[in-house]
Amino acid sequence: MNRIANTSKNLLKNGSAKVLLLVLSGAFLIALPSAVSAQKSFKKSYPASKNVRLDLVNRTGTVTVEGWERNEIRISASLERPYASIEPSSHSGQIRIDVVKANQGRGEVGDANFTIYVPYGATVDIETRIGNLNVSNVRGVYVRAHITSEGDVTLTNIVASKVTAKNVNGNMFFDGIVRPGGTYVFKSVTGDVNVRIPLESSFRLLATAPTTRNISLGSFSNTSMRLIGNGRRVVGKVGGGSATLTVENLRGTISFLRR
Amino acid sequence: MNCGNYQNLISAFLDGELDADTWKAVEGHMEACEECSNVFTDFSSILDFCEDSLAVDSEPPNSHALWCRINNIIETEVPEPQEQEVVVSEAAPGFWNSSLNLSAGQIASAVACIAVVSSLVTVIAFQNLASGAEPGSSRDSGRTVFEKVLADLGIGETPVERTERRVKEQRAAIDYWKTKVEARRASWNNETQIVFDRNLSEIDKAVNEYTKLLQEDPQDSISNEMLDSALREKMELLREFSEL
Repeated sequence: MNRIANTSKNLLKNGSAKVLLLVLSGAFLIALPSAVSAQKSFKKSYPASKNVRLDLVNRTGTVTVEGWERNEIRISASLERPYASIEPSSHSGQIRIDVVKANQGRGEVGDANFTIYVPYGATVDIETRIGNLNVSNVRGVYVRAHITSEGDVTLTNIVASKVTAKNVNGNMFFDGIVRPGGTYVFKSVTGDVNVRIPLESSFRLLATAPTTRNISLGSFSNTSMRLIGNGRRVVGKVGGGSATLTVENLRGTISFLRR
Repeated sequence: MNCGNYQNLISAFLDGELDADTWKAVEGHMEACEECSNVFTDFSSILDFCEDSLAVDSEPPNSHALWCRINNIIETEVPEPQEQEVVVSEAAPGFWNSSLNLSAGQIASAVACIAVVSSLVTVIAFQNLASGAEPGSSRDSGRTVFEKVLADLGIGETPVERTERRVKEQRAAIDYWKTKVEARRASWNNETQIVFDRNLSEIDKAVNEYTKLLQEDPQDSISNEMLDSALREKMELLREFSEL
């Protein structure tokens, strides 16, 4: 131990050691901000009407869209690679962001994670090739959330006449209101599809889960429901049946929950 | 005899079933009366057409009964010449007088065709109802009544043929997008490649599963729909990743 202490004292006395320490400290100070700046952030706001339409096509990453009371769309994004491009366009009451098109021919551009606030009455049409999609507190005419491959779709507190959600691998959760005459389509290849709606909802149901034959109707089970094809499909009416609810899961399960 | 009586004899006249005196009387009237001459021309045209068709197709089950039916329809449709004049003088120059100058024979043929087709459609619709096919059922192939009629007549595709054609088309499109993906794949990072392969494998599992089920029971419409859905998913996955 004494030998090590003596060696350290000798090194500190030596000028070259001091220079080495200085260089190391400098390198650390330079490396720290460059590591932070490798992630680029993007922020932009647009004035918008109550029923503005948001179209977003993402490559990879998580997209979160949330309704708020302001007549404004606020887009925040963090980009994994600084050279990735986001070019929103605003035209005729529509905000469009196409990350796939904007980055074609640039090679791998990494994840783009979005958080977007939209007016409550907005129409939301979002899709991504890989990643999660979350939409909440939206009451527009139409909500569409499509994942080309894997990722979870989470739609919370949605009041729209037309809702479509799709993924291949990942869970799907819809929590919202079924509007009279509305159309609701949820499709997955594998994973679980959960639909949480009020008990007083009125819709015609076509639910198909052929591989698992696991279709849980919960409180929505009634005498009009018929099992077809040895339980692979359930067809029936809940209430007057003015809306249409189609759920298809090729290799997963389907569950209905009371809201 | 009035025009109606002469028109009733046209069929027998054309078939050579009249005695010589009656034949001459009918022939003389046809030369003198334009209205009856037109009916005669229409009848002989229909007969010529039928004879031509018979040369190619099989003979109708009872040609005499068919002609009797047409004759009866004409009797009910064609008014006496005097009454016709009154109608013409009273009618305003409108749609029937100006644009559709149809003869009694043409109208009769059209009515007969409509009657036969509607009877056929009604019978098939009742058969469908009686068989208890319901929308969404595993045996309901999703075909329209018209498609079913065509299939029953041997003109349209059967459900199996239709499935085979559709699957073939989808597989061709899948092959096209596969080549596009192969060209782009090298530019993806390792993680994207892994995710793509994993998801393609999940869809392929579904495709194989429903293909197998359809081989066991080609009429199973749920498996048919699910195979269609799985193939569309696969096509969409390939197409959208080919853009990356």
